[in-house]
Amino acid sequence: MPPCNNFSTLPPVSPRRRELRLARAGSLRYHFRPLVAPPARSPVFVVSGTQDRFGEFRLDVCPPEFLEGVGMIEVQGVSKSYGITKALDQVSFSVDRNRVLGFLGPNGAGKSTAMKIITTYLSPDEGTVKIEGQDVTADPLAARRRIGYLPEAAPLYDDMRVRDYLEFVAQARGLTGDDLSRRLDWVHDRTHVRSVLYKKVNELSKGYRQRVGLAQALVHNPDVLILDEPTSGLDPRQIIGIRNLIRELAETKTVIFSSHILAEISAVTDRIVIINGGKIVADGHAEDLRGSAMRENRYRVQFSQDGAAAADALRAIAGVSSVVADPEIANTWLVRSPLATDLRRPVNELARSHGWDLLELAPQRPTLEEAFIELTAGRAH
Amino acid sequence: MKDVGVIFRREMGAYFHSPIAYIFIVVFLFLTSGFYTNGFFLAGVADMRDFFGTLPLYLLFFIPALTMRLWAEDQRLGTFELLMTLPMKPWHIVLGKYLAGLAFYAIALACTFTIPISLMWIGHPDLGAIACGYFGSLLLGALFLAIGIFVSGLFRDQIAAFILTLLACAFFVLAGTQFFVAILDGWVDGLGSFLSSAFAVNLRFEGIERGVIGLDDVLFFLSFSIVFLVLNTLSLEGRKY
Repeated sequence: MPPCNNFSTLPPVSPRRRELRLARAGSLRYHFRPLVAPPARSPVFVVSGTQDRFGEFRLDVCPPEFLEGVGMIEVQGVSKSYGITKALDQVSFSVDRNRVLGFLGPNGAGKSTAMKIITTYLSPDEGTVKIEGQDVTADPLAARRRIGYLPEAAPLYDDMRVRDYLEFVAQARGLTGDDLSRRLDWVHDRTHVRSVLYKKVNELSKGYRQRVGLAQALVHNPDVLILDEPTSGLDPRQIIGIRNLIRELAETKTVIFSSHILAEISAVTDRIVIINGGKIVADGHAEDLRGSAMRENRYRVQFSQDGAAAADALRAIAGVSSVVADPEIANTWLVRSPLATDLRRPVNELARSHGWDLLELAPQRPTLEEAFIELTAGRAH
Repeated sequence: MKDVGVIFRREMGAYFHSPIAYIFIVVFLFLTSGFYTNGFFLAGVADMRDFFGTLPLYLLFFIPALTMRLWAEDQRLGTFELLMTLPMKPWHIVLGKYLAGLAFYAIALACTFTIPISLMWIGHPDLGAIACGYFGSLLLGALFLAIGIFVSGLFRDQIAAFILTLLACAFFVLAGTQFFVAILDGWVDGLGSFLSSAFAVNLRFEGIERGVIGLDDVLFFLSFSIVFLVLNTLSLEGRKY
């Protein structure tokens, strides 16, 4: 069973003591909610876990249903305008704990604005953003402690050495003493920046700059990671590295990451929110999005019969709107019909009545790219 | 105040990790001490009146050069977004940056201690007046720095921040000149006199550097400095909306 949370703030204690402290989790900083409210006054959680050498605590036993429906980030009816330009218009979505949400949209769609609002950098004109039920505008400092944020341009001081920069961010986030050294060790290792620790930031390649940017977002071991186009400008090898890191981090953190490239999102997560013109135009899993983008039925049909006769026969079926030959495979056609018209039975009957072998009859769903174009069509700025 | 310390150390590091600090201090010393010693040998009097008399003019250029990067550079580098999403109150960040600028200015000013040390070696200067002069210089610099950090927060471009800080500081200096008062009084009766009494820094600075430290003068510098720091904090907070 995968680990489902971490407890970096948990001081080293004996297993028995740890269990006692967790049992009083209602008054501590542990972000669990009981699956079923127990009759006792305090919620009781019996869990076991291990602490790694960085002091990070991972649960070994965690019923999957424990996390079901636990909304980590809830964005409700958020709107934001810059002057007369409406950047966000009644945007709502939520992300459960330890899940990755891909935020997809063309440039200027409002992705960055939404992320800036979640991180409290901007205030919404209306609507609320809650992190585990706490309104971020009511106590922005508390929200910021739980969020790691990598803006679109990695926020680095060119005049500092990488090590000094990460130490500055860690101290600014309140880390001191052993905690500070442990977390710095952790980010140096996990983001693979150890080889450039003593270089100045302005000497780093784009890939390393992005890694250092990610390291500063992770240094305080946040529950929530907001990454604005983290793979932008990287080469393919670096992109794969960042993707793998995001997947690893998602085991213990809730991640929202944005991109205007669909392949980036679908490579890391299948939970996708598409935003365009400041509005959410789709929210769901990749398969759902492909389904919701279907505006007509499409079938791939291959007969043994050669030539135009088959095409003409297909066109003659009631409800067929178009028949296009596949230029690459012989005797194969792409047949379209309105959504309400199922062509599978008529095509079967056609083959039987003419005595042709039906080699293929496959409904075609839009690709993710087609779905994205379909869902954002006509709404772009 | 731990947060203020973190920002303070980062900003001090920024001054000394680049050539800016060293160029600034060398040029500042060369101009202030160079021009002072020229007049000193002509007059042959062991005091620093000339030094403190011309200091406001030098500060008109040096302080904007010091403060122009304080926020403008953060906006250029994108670190502004980092600072504004740290779990720190904005006024802690403002104070950290301001105190770093003030500390750096104090170091530059302390480098001119070679002048009073030389005066003590060759004559009998009035050390009380000199100490008051330095105190007044620190207050004047504190005010100009507060203006500079506020203006820097309004601009992404460092040159724009420099020019506007210079103009704002120049207003505070010119407000105390007869020329300025006469022109404005000519335009609107009493306007020049009002601005002079309300904003003139050089008249108050002259009082302090003569050895008369009035509470109203100290409060003037401190309160205006606080006003600009508060304005800077408010302008940062206002960007969220």
